[in-house]
Amino acid sequence: MISTLTIRRLVLVSTITTLVAVGLMVMGIVFPRPLLLVLAMSLGQLFGTLSLALYLLAIVLDLQGVGEHEDIGPHIGFDSEGAAANRAEDRAP
Amino acid sequence: MYEIHSVEQLLKITALVAAVISILILVWYLVRRPPLGRITKVILLFGLGVMPIGVALTGNIAGFEYTLKRQFCGSCHVMLPYTEDAADPKSNSLAAIHSRNHSFGEESCYTCHADYQMFGAMTTKVNGLKHLFYYITEYANTGPYGEGGKPIHMYKPFQNGMCTRCHSTTAPNWLANQDHAGMVEDIRKGDAKCIDCHSGEKIHPRAFAHGGTGRPPVADASAPEAPKGAHP
Repeated sequence: MISTLTIRRLVLVSTITTLVAVGLMVMGIVFPRPLLLVLAMSLGQLFGTLSLALYLLAIVLDLQGVGEHEDIGPHIGFDSEGAAANRAEDRAP
Repeated sequence: MYEIHSVEQLLKITALVAAVISILILVWYLVRRPPLGRITKVILLFGLGVMPIGVALTGNIAGFEYTLKRQFCGSCHVMLPYTEDAADPKSNSLAAIHSRNHSFGEESCYTCHADYQMFGAMTTKVNGLKHLFYYITEYANTGPYGEGGKPIHMYKPFQNGMCTRCHSTTAPNWLANQDHAGMVEDIRKGDAKCIDCHSGEKIHPRAFAHGGTGRPPVADASAPEAPKGAHP
């Protein structure tokens, strides 16, 4: 069962993977040694693509309202998730 | 003030700026853990998508541009006998003479050794990956100039087309050389190779004196033989 927690975890994994990907790409730019360039252009971009795919998956799941009515979030220290946050933004003046 | 002198530098700076923006957004998200509202999603889309794609695109082009340079070829120490000679303003080797020409300049290795047919840049870069593999597996622990390693050789014979891109075989000065005039048709057909006469020892003398042959350096390795009849 996909929950709100899963969506947040997807975004978290995506964020960390992107940091690794950007780090590899920056290493390839700052220290353009052959091995680093190959790593930046292969692993770096693979991680970057995967992380973007994970994030888009999380957004799609969130837009479909997966986990919207679960109340697990507050019990594990998270605020209400996407839908609730959207409603709060909508209410904001 | 940092000045930008080339497109490559501009691309690198663009990539680094995009990377910094991306990292700032991602660290902000990891530290603050805001609810996934619309604004957060849009900000994350920039941090996870737009900016990293920008880094990849500009970084790729900048990286590719850098791989064309002689400095990059010299990153593997076994290439130093080749690149140091080519960069030596006092050397009379063919590689050095060509490197002093602005049409070759810092990209002299790539200009003479790249494939020029369709997808030539791609096949050249794939061969570069093979170079890297062989370097790591066979040459990484060789001496400062590659001594002790296997002799370095090209994957395929050097084609006349690499030379005739510039030396069109029609210039009067070139035809004034009797050897050229006598075999011009054979050269154009490829039956006679340019490197049959302008051989490796004249192109990369230091490499052929030590590292390129897998032999240790010798005393006179840095005194290359002047090429006969250097032509336009």
